Amino acid sequence: MKACMIAALFACSAGLAGAEEAPVTFHNDVMAVLAKGGCSSGPCHGNASGKAGFKISLRGEDADFDYNALVRDMFGRRINTAEPEQSLLLLKATATVAHEGGKRFDPDSLEYEILKKWIAAGARKDADGIPTVTAIDVTPKSQVLLEPDFSAQLAVQATYSDGSVRDISRLAIYEPANLAMKASPAGLITAENPGETTVMVRYLNQHQPVHLAFVPARPDFKWANPKAHNYVDRHIDAKLRTLRMNPSDVAGDHQFLRRAYLDLLGVLPTVDEAKSFVLSNDRKKRSKLIDQLLERSEFAEHWAIKWADLLRLEEKALDRKGVELFHRWIRESIANNKPVDQFVREIITARGSTYQNPPANFYRAARTPITRAETVAQVFLGTRLACAQCHNHPFDKWTQDDYYDWAGLFARVDYKVLENRYRDGLDKHAFEGEQVVFTALKGEVKNPRIGKDASPRFLGRVEPIDEEQDRLEELAAWLTGPDNKLFARVQANRIWYHLMGRGIVDPIDDFRATNLPSHPELLDELTPDFVSSGYDLKHLIRVIMNSRAYQTSSLPNDTNAEDTINYSHSLVRRLDAEEVLDALSQVTGAPLKFDGYPEGFRAGQIPGVHAIAMRRSKITDADKFLQVFGKPERLLATEEERSCTTNLGQALQLMTGPALAELLSNKNGRLDKLLASGKSSGEMLDDLYWTALARPPTLTETAALSRHLEQATDKRAALEDITWSIVNSKEFVMRH
Amino acid sequence: MKPPHSSACSSYHACAVSRRHALKVGGLGLLGLNFPWLLKAEEIARAAKIKPRIKSLILLFQWGGPSHIDMFDMKPDAPEEIRGPHKPIASSADGIQVSEHLPKTAKIMDKVTLIRSMHHTMNNHNSAGYYALTGSAPATDDQRLRDSIDLYPTWGSVVDKFAPNSGEMPTFISYPYVIRDGSITPGQHASFLGKQHDPLFFTQNPNDANFALPELTLPAGISYERLHARRELQKIVDAQTRLMETSAETRGFDTYYEKALAMLGSEKLRQAFDLSKEPDVMRDAYGRTTYGQSCLLARRLVEQGAKFVTVYFDDSIGGQSTEDGGWDTHGFNNTKMYPIIEKRHLPITEQTLPTLINDLDSRGMLKDTLVVWMGEFGRTPKINGNASRDHWPQCYTTLLAGAGVKKGFVYGASDREGRYPAENMVRPDDLAATLYYLFGIDPASEVHDRNNRPLPIAKGKPVTGIFA
Repeated sequence: MKACMIAALFACSAGLAGAEEAPVTFHNDVMAVLAKGGCSSGPCHGNASGKAGFKISLRGEDADFDYNALVRDMFGRRINTAEPEQSLLLLKATATVAHEGGKRFDPDSLEYEILKKWIAAGARKDADGIPTVTAIDVTPKSQVLLEPDFSAQLAVQATYSDGSVRDISRLAIYEPANLAMKASPAGLITAENPGETTVMVRYLNQHQPVHLAFVPARPDFKWANPKAHNYVDRHIDAKLRTLRMNPSDVAGDHQFLRRAYLDLLGVLPTVDEAKSFVLSNDRKKRSKLIDQLLERSEFAEHWAIKWADLLRLEEKALDRKGVELFHRWIRESIANNKPVDQFVREIITARGSTYQNPPANFYRAARTPITRAETVAQVFLGTRLACAQCHNHPFDKWTQDDYYDWAGLFARVDYKVLENRYRDGLDKHAFEGEQVVFTALKGEVKNPRIGKDASPRFLGRVEPIDEEQDRLEELAAWLTGPDNKLFARVQANRIWYHLMGRGIVDPIDDFRATNLPSHPELLDELTPDFVSSGYDLKHLIRVIMNSRAYQTSSLPNDTNAEDTINYSHSLVRRLDAEEVLDALSQVTGAPLKFDGYPEGFRAGQIPGVHAIAMRRSKITDADKFLQVFGKPERLLATEEERSCTTNLGQALQLMTGPALAELLSNKNGRLDKLLASGKSSGEMLDDLYWTALARPPTLTETAALSRHLEQATDKRAALEDITWSIVNSKEFVMRH
Repeated sequence: MKPPHSSACSSYHACAVSRRHALKVGGLGLLGLNFPWLLKAEEIARAAKIKPRIKSLILLFQWGGPSHIDMFDMKPDAPEEIRGPHKPIASSADGIQVSEHLPKTAKIMDKVTLIRSMHHTMNNHNSAGYYALTGSAPATDDQRLRDSIDLYPTWGSVVDKFAPNSGEMPTFISYPYVIRDGSITPGQHASFLGKQHDPLFFTQNPNDANFALPELTLPAGISYERLHARRELQKIVDAQTRLMETSAETRGFDTYYEKALAMLGSEKLRQAFDLSKEPDVMRDAYGRTTYGQSCLLARRLVEQGAKFVTVYFDDSIGGQSTEDGGWDTHGFNNTKMYPIIEKRHLPITEQTLPTLINDLDSRGMLKDTLVVWMGEFGRTPKINGNASRDHWPQCYTTLLAGAGVKKGFVYGASDREGRYPAENMVRPDDLAATLYYLFGIDPASEVHDRNNRPLPIAKGKPVTGIFA
């Protein structure tokens, strides 16, 4: 039987070559088996330090190294050409002798046969000039499978440098990202339950993703034919329909209003704002509200937080003055709707005093060429390069050379530290005082792979830069110019993410061929729309927020309850740290206290992150609250540093924590004003509910809470209890 | 879409819990299974292969770096500038000598394992401290290594992830300091494992007369009954929407409320923290110091089921005062090491360490509790110009006592002058692997950093030679 498989496998290439059977090559066959067996993976022998004394290159990136490891190391004990079956390689892989990695394949497998054949033929190095793989082609590229037919057979053809084509379906590796899906060695992907997955198909250094959707039959499914508000919905709906899902209903005014305020301003609507919106009969009131909110000062403040996280506005590196100046610059850029491409160009090319030219703080925070290179790639190109520092990127095209050549662009950024008042001279990350960022005349990055200076070039480009020009000016022009499509795509996706809760490409800073967008055509339309609007942030926000997809309810229906990636209903998430705290302050009508800022300052207005590490003084309860709720330290230029997961500490903060306790007990706040106003308990509840939840209390709530208030001897205590229970409700803490 | 995972490790990339992903149970599980749960099952299955040898661990972290040569690895035959002024004495274990300043400690040597061949190359407190507390070497020997979520989680957080407690008792508790040297020392929390695996941490001093934990103490005027009443009102509000029913994130948050409520109402927990329940004679035996009472508290917490308790000796590296500070005795500013450790560090150790071990033993707790006493490094074998010793990571001693390890045993050895391991070198990586193994956690278990790289929780190998 194994003979048949071999014969079948080699039939293609044999046919092309005109011989009965092509010889087994080290590059194209043995290396593929080592990868398919998982031998060259990171947790196994591909690990930087190998495993159990045997190291081969990570995912087979260095064939010569691997050949030597197999054939020459250990005095050649791994290979026994006289008795191939006694080769340690085969004994280990079949777990005939003890193998920590367990059995990788059976003696009657194709993998075994290939290795044995190669060994029997002398375990030779390939002849010079043997064909190398240049491309793989997987069919199908995507498929929708309807229940009960939950299996998809993938087929893979490889094209080699001599033009030959070979079916390598049995040698390719199939990796479903969704662990609920299973892949057979021969490429049959099966699912037990409905769901979507990408399957990464790999062969040697080639990879191609395939998208599979396993769709429930839902025989009585009827497309509801919901109205599209704009092109966003047409793309969303097209996919939902394929997946036999209907989108949820459009959210009610209360839900939309609260969502719009939180997403655009980071604060809650006031009672009056909420009531007048809900009561208005204007059919265009939603898009009018969006327009109004975009012009408010809180909008610039709130969206400045998103850039502040990425541009690392923290006091230890930038000092308080630097953080405040940089923050003001970002805020004003947003308020003036500075085109995003221009905003980024000003950052990339920024030099001069960090006090005189605030965007120069970007380089003040990113102090080495490596950090600058990784940060610019991740923030502006949505590309994670870090892997390529030490080895070629396992899921992307980036090589170590790409990495260091890119870093070379930033080699000459230098600093003149005019003053450093920071007392700890040993701390190389901390500064207090003015610095001047400038470009040195010389300086390169060393590429350790070749032991020489890297040759600066743009990411993904072959040609070197024009050395006559200023590197950063040239970079900024290329980055935001027409030759680089990625920039606008990444920025459009980021704006989408901040409103929709999930990137079309997700994570939003991990763009690569192997990370498929959930809605490629939608991103293909959002991006040029964004570009032709002049990189207009507000324009793109309007497009997205006016879509039905944005305005859909968070309440799922029978067809879409399990969906988390197709925008069938609005995603529920915890409010960000600043949003929760500011909302608590707003509901209680009591000001917050932050170290170094005037009373009444909102959390969403704080420019930076306190340099708490250098102080022993106690941070305020409000500062502590923000920490517990995941405000990032801003040491890493990524959205992922901001945590919006929930945990025990947060529950304790809201239940018994000092920050909320202090707000509730404030003597000049909403509670005392309500008690002094002579309002009925119903009216008091009404005020609290509209403030906190942008809705009136339900009858159940009115009954229970009024009773609590009326039966209480200590009215203030009772009102505290009620406020506590409202702000501890999920409806309050979640954005929905 | 998610990135792919390797065929060799099916968990590769599976816990790519990015900011938004974490909200959506299931990540990619469009209609069906949610794989964080699957993953957990898989991880637990993997962990279950190793039989746990300990239930709990108490880590006594000696910040600043105690001198191995002056305590547990004496070199009486070395030249004077190496052996120092202190003399060794015999102990209750054959062949083990300790400092003459530790006579009570000498009597528990028959209950401990000493690893005298600890080794690494981080010369600065923060980089060494991080390495010691996580088992992961930092990229550079940075004196002000920044505490970012790029770095490895500390041991207790890994235990909290792979072998968590159920019920109201927290898995991982640490106190009474945030250790730092100029900046906060990394390695004290869960880092990229996520804040849910951070320790229950506090800085209240267990030696204070009114020691209590604000997190477990109700605010003034809020009785437990009133908190319950509030929770009932909250449930009414929560019942008005279908958020709890339709959002796993929301339900998850509510389970934290249940847990918090259980903790706040837990007699067990309150008792554990109530040191006044201990007889005075016991409190005196541990020593009326922050460290002494912290160790007593550690025993009470473990007694109630805490799995991993870290006690930091001090928040500063110290070494220049007999009043406060850690073990960093360089002799700076005209101080001298020996008078300082004779007056502060050795007496505190002498009072507390044997008391803790004997107390655990007499309660039968040493059978399933392991005590680990260690610093971030040792001190230079050669006494410096200030009659003191500087940093020495190349060779130092770690003491282990209790469950899982041999008694009266020395593992590894330093060379004649205590400079380098002469045999059986143990790196912090190996110590981490050893402790995880003792907990029944496979040291090769994978976690994913924020770049989604699959990383083993420990990069070293368990030191099986110390296993009982």
